[in-house]
Amino acid sequence: MKKIKWFLLIGITVSILFSSLIITIAAEMTAEEIILKRDSNEYFDTAQMEAEMIIVSGSRKITKTMVALTDKKNSLVEFTNSQDRGTKFLKREDDLWMFFPDAEEIIKISGHMLNQGMMGSDFSYQDIMEADKLTDLYDFEIIKEEEFEGRPCYVLEGIAREGVKVSYYRRVSWVDKERFIGLKEELYTESGRILKETKANVIEEIEGRWVPTNSVMENKLRKDTYTEFTITQIKFNLEIPEETFSLQNLR
Amino acid sequence: MILKKYLHIIILFIIFFLLGSIPTSAKVDIGGELAASLINIIDNEGNIFAYPQASLDLELYIPPFDNNQIKSAVYLYTNPTTGQLDFMFKKLYLKHKFNKLHLTVGRQPISWSFGSMLNPVDFTLGAIVMEEETGAKYQDAIEGYLPLNWNTSVSVTAALPENSQGIKWGLRGRTVIEGYDLTLNHVQEPEMEIMGAIIPASQRIGFTGKGDLGPFGIYGALGYYFKDNDNGDLAYLIGGDYSYFFEAGNKIYFQLEYLSMKKENLSSILGPFFAGNVTNNLNENIGLILGMVNYEIDEFSQINLMAISSLNDGSIIIMPRYRNQLSNDLSFNLSTGIYFGKEDTLFGSNVSEGAQQKPKGMISIGLTYSF
Repeated sequence: MKKIKWFLLIGITVSILFSSLIITIAAEMTAEEIILKRDSNEYFDTAQMEAEMIIVSGSRKITKTMVALTDKKNSLVEFTNSQDRGTKFLKREDDLWMFFPDAEEIIKISGHMLNQGMMGSDFSYQDIMEADKLTDLYDFEIIKEEEFEGRPCYVLEGIAREGVKVSYYRRVSWVDKERFIGLKEELYTESGRILKETKANVIEEIEGRWVPTNSVMENKLRKDTYTEFTITQIKFNLEIPEETFSLQNLR
Repeated sequence: MILKKYLHIIILFIIFFLLGSIPTSAKVDIGGELAASLINIIDNEGNIFAYPQASLDLELYIPPFDNNQIKSAVYLYTNPTTGQLDFMFKKLYLKHKFNKLHLTVGRQPISWSFGSMLNPVDFTLGAIVMEEETGAKYQDAIEGYLPLNWNTSVSVTAALPENSQGIKWGLRGRTVIEGYDLTLNHVQEPEMEIMGAIIPASQRIGFTGKGDLGPFGIYGALGYYFKDNDNGDLAYLIGGDYSYFFEAGNKIYFQLEYLSMKKENLSSILGPFFAGNVTNNLNENIGLILGMVNYEIDEFSQINLMAISSLNDGSIIIMPRYRNQLSNDLSFNLSTGIYFGKEDTLFGSNVSEGAQQKPKGMISIGLTYSF
């Protein structure tokens, strides 16, 4: 009798453990599922925002302010701080156009300039104006799970898809398990050199989405320099007329 | 012409009338740029002549309303010759956006720049000289702009030049094909009178293109200047640009271009300060090579080196510059220009009798404040 009781106890314990394992396996998400959930949170059809960019180098800092409109493929940014007031950028697919307010002329910017810092910041034109889904640009896999600033995260590695034009060949992303938003990102070249690191400092829920309203981009190639990007106002999925992203609208 | 004489007054009246219809909640703002510099001119004997220069760029920012846009910008400056305060309207225009046409009337910048340092096919030659904007591009004009799609347009301009009783006409078409920004234009200049000399009416056509070739940006222009005797002059420009990123994260930018044109048309392209010696052999074809290197020291400062050389005589102007943004609105600028060349060369500081004396060099140190 005693033997039967022991066998019963062991059997129940094993069953519970086995069931937990099955439940755990069933609940684990794939890398693609995580990034799709992240994209559904971060990717939008259209958006309008006002933002501030603080460029810091050592003890010096400079502030730029802007308003931006963006849809799935295009972006329009206009600077509103006194030194750059009226300067506009239009990104259509892979082309960048710049409007010079004094001469009121529109110049097509050479492609090699897309990866340079926008107005001297650590955010490139591509960083600020790119609107593609991550799932369209990278192949992701989960490399580990760890906490970042108290938040449990999936850590994923993304490698650029063949034939797709991206600024960073490899990216390592810390994705919040609960909110599916990127909390930290490391951006690498193909040779493995880290170029930039970005961290979300403040995350707010706006119109049902988790939005990093304050983030910092650090240039890993330079010492003691970073750019802080703060979204002061944002609206999603508003109607933007088709002619907004046109050369005529830059004038 | 009566229209030309009273154009600014008419535009001002229209603007004041329209300002009355702007909602009181609309935010009207004033801004601009204050610049102060010390300019040192070095002559051939090594004498230095220094004089201060100040300027104030003042613009009224009026938000657009009812498809209307009003722009008003005035430029006050100390005249280097007289030392007195002078001013000019840079902008004083009204733009109305109809359904398929944008109409701009008044004082406005007309610039057909496409990213080159010199532009042999601009609406006003010499409007942009080595990336420096000159006052030449601000014109009293009426412009009709017809957008055909997001990157294609046709514009027609009728301007009233300062030194002429006639109308200057311009027609420009712009489009993008296979990623290349292309323009085609035609300009008809009226007869002009400049310092007693009559410059006959002329016309020119021009073509420009800009795009990418691998990691390089490339661009070019082709111009044809018509002449009375049917033997026109051809001018062409080809150029490219490239960026290189260092291990430390700094960036260096290169731009190089070559311009070929008849000497007699060159003074218009180069602008008044860099005219050089253009009084001899006006029918000679000149080849100019221009180069520019820009190095970002850090996020706030950069050094720039520009040079222009005549391949015909080897004369050269070298222009090193340094810029440092000290704070949000204040920047420091240091620019120099040094001329090298023998007598009677295009950029030689020693010039032959009758030609305009050119300095050996120039140094400018200044501050600019934006508000």
